[in-house]
Amino acid sequence: MQPSLAELGPRTDAGPLAPSRAARRRGSSRRGEATAGYVFLSPWLLGFLGITALPMIFSLILSFTNYELLDDWSQIQFVGFKNYQRMFTEDPHYWHSVGVTLRYALIAVPLKLAAALGVALLLRRDRKGNGLFRGLFYLPSLLGGSVALALVWLAMFSRDGAFNAFLGIFGIQGRPWVNDPDWSLSTLIVLAVWQFGAPMVIFLAGLKQIPVELYEAASVDGAGRSRQFWHITLPMLSPVLFFNLVMEVIHGFQGFTGAYVLSNGEGGPVDSTLMYTLYLYVAGFTDFKMAYASAMAWVFLLVIGVITAGLFATGRHWVHYSDGGDK
Amino acid sequence: MKPTAPLAVGAHSPLHHGSASRRSLLRGIAAAALAVPAASVLAACGDDDKSSTDPNAPVELSIFWWGGDARAKMTEDALALYTAKHPNVTFKKTWQANAGYYDKLATLTAGGNAPDIFQIDDGALSEYAERNQTLDLSKYADSNKLDKSKILPGLWQAGVVEGKPAGVPMGENTPGMIYDKGLLKTLGLPEPTTGMTWDALIAWATQVTTKSGGKVFGTMDPSADYKALWVWLRQQGKQLYDGKKIGASAEDLTKWFDLWKGARDTKAAPPADVVHTANAGAVANQLVVTGKAATSFMWANQLPELQKATKSELGVVAYPGDPSGQWARAALYFSVYKGSKHADVAVDVLNFLVNDVEAGKILGTDRGLNANTDVRTAVASTLKDSAATAAQFETDLASKFGTPPAVPPKGHVKVRSLLITYAENVGYGKATSAAAADAFLKEANAALAG
Repeated sequence: MQPSLAELGPRTDAGPLAPSRAARRRGSSRRGEATAGYVFLSPWLLGFLGITALPMIFSLILSFTNYELLDDWSQIQFVGFKNYQRMFTEDPHYWHSVGVTLRYALIAVPLKLAAALGVALLLRRDRKGNGLFRGLFYLPSLLGGSVALALVWLAMFSRDGAFNAFLGIFGIQGRPWVNDPDWSLSTLIVLAVWQFGAPMVIFLAGLKQIPVELYEAASVDGAGRSRQFWHITLPMLSPVLFFNLVMEVIHGFQGFTGAYVLSNGEGGPVDSTLMYTLYLYVAGFTDFKMAYASAMAWVFLLVIGVITAGLFATGRHWVHYSDGGDK
Repeated sequence: MKPTAPLAVGAHSPLHHGSASRRSLLRGIAAAALAVPAASVLAACGDDDKSSTDPNAPVELSIFWWGGDARAKMTEDALALYTAKHPNVTFKKTWQANAGYYDKLATLTAGGNAPDIFQIDDGALSEYAERNQTLDLSKYADSNKLDKSKILPGLWQAGVVEGKPAGVPMGENTPGMIYDKGLLKTLGLPEPTTGMTWDALIAWATQVTTKSGGKVFGTMDPSADYKALWVWLRQQGKQLYDGKKIGASAEDLTKWFDLWKGARDTKAAPPADVVHTANAGAVANQLVVTGKAATSFMWANQLPELQKATKSELGVVAYPGDPSGQWARAALYFSVYKGSKHADVAVDVLNFLVNDVEAGKILGTDRGLNANTDVRTAVASTLKDSAATAAQFETDLASKFGTPPAVPPKGHVKVRSLLITYAENVGYGKATSAAAADAFLKEANAALAG
């Protein structure tokens, strides 16, 4: 590739007759560029250090103490692994929240990805009006984790909500969905699945990348729609599918807003929506057990890390990069 | 540009200019990046240096409370009156609904940014006071800068934690069962009375449900409500708290849960999901307001707030059983943050809010009957409608009150939410009364100990 004019600029400027000067200049301008680079990076760097890295290290330290939210620093004592021990052996709510979160993620993530892929397949062609539909299907994701949306859900799926009124038309006696411990988590899952717009847009972009010739060749060879899907679309889309899967799994485990709003920040009714992150919040900010909450957060980070690593390990077997990127 | 310039130079010189101006742009950004925090640091230092002793120096106090629109209006007006008398003192007022209030207060306090003055109730006062976050008001009370001579001694004492006054009581209240008078008139049924037994209430409630054709349940199911449980326990000579333990036995709690299971079974009380919507505590969701039940278990001073939310006329009586189970409770307090830079002024504001008759008239009985007896007398004649009803109810009941229990210990907030969880477990049929009672006792005692 030809070097661009901008890269050549300062060099030709120095001229070939003064190599040592040029070299020095080059060195100082490199250093200058490095400085400039760091200056440009500084907002992120400061942000990363100040509001991510340091607090994280701090929370790791806290997780080995008995710190409660309003305590003076002088009251802090190191307690070793006591918080972790309590979490794993003494706290029934902890394992309950793990169960709730697993159920939520294991059901919501596949459903959401299936919905996103399904709608993306329907909208992939540039037919008239598809732009509008893409926008409309994306809309719920824009509102994303918003509190307002969760409040709408609360109104729609309560005993006298719109959904039960709708069921009433068909003579079906509805349930108090959000206030029924057997159904409240399902309501949250539906809320999550409904926001499939973001992965859908990524699927759409991925679908556009698949060369049309592959389909043409396949149809010449007599492959039907479903064979084309399984043997062309899916393999060609697998990197995008992998990306969406990783993102949604992480997202799914972190689900918070819906559960917080629907349950008034308590994970009710009877702990049925006590997701891991919600319990962590309650432990830290309502019960003031900040050290315990920190320990929970670190276990959470490790588990999500392990799950993501596991996904990457399986990805080697099913993700197909057409440019040989997996070699 | 000179036409004699060599082509190559001419071609790249604009780029060169471009990089030069880019570099100066960078320098500008770098300078700005350094200057902005420096300026704000300087500004911050300037603020800190304002700790002058000039009594007329401008002071801005931050104040934070929970409540509805009406309370906000009254509080703002009372503070405006203080500013009118002390023009150098202004207020930064923040208020919100009860839900989420304590989360926010805890976060602010942990960050060292708590407001100078904040509202607090007996659920959290011990938490904050025992952790040294509230200002010890002893020296102000001793020097009479905070005049407690007219404050009812019982209420003042309720704000004392570990021997130190930690909060100024802003009102007195007592549990009140609020009922739908309008509905009962329509149905032609008698109103509930103070002193009726719990069983009589449930029998009466069954009638209401039947007469209304199942549309309105006779009574809210208060099995998850700590104050209802507390009154019920007191009527049997027990307390909710025995020091840092739960004062009730597993048998007591089982009996309590069974009482309400029976009420749900006979349709005197609504099913668990309806009760659940009210258990969160928001006034707008109380069943007597939403028309789902004929009673709600509240504090008596909340009557006007509930009345505002419904067209049907409401009334108030004591919780069922012997009214000696009830007591005069310091409804809520204002506390001063330990780290306040203007503690003296903040205490003076509290002194004004609790002892000034004019301020009292503005504040009314929204936070309960006024703690200062002179103010209470002066305010009584100005009350109207439901506020007058609530005040009258409480005044009439005063002679029957039992001795007030000790202020709830640290951990009370957790106990409250545990009771909701386990009462609802029974309500939804997820646990038997006995199993829920055992689990509640175990966890509540652990929360109180830790």
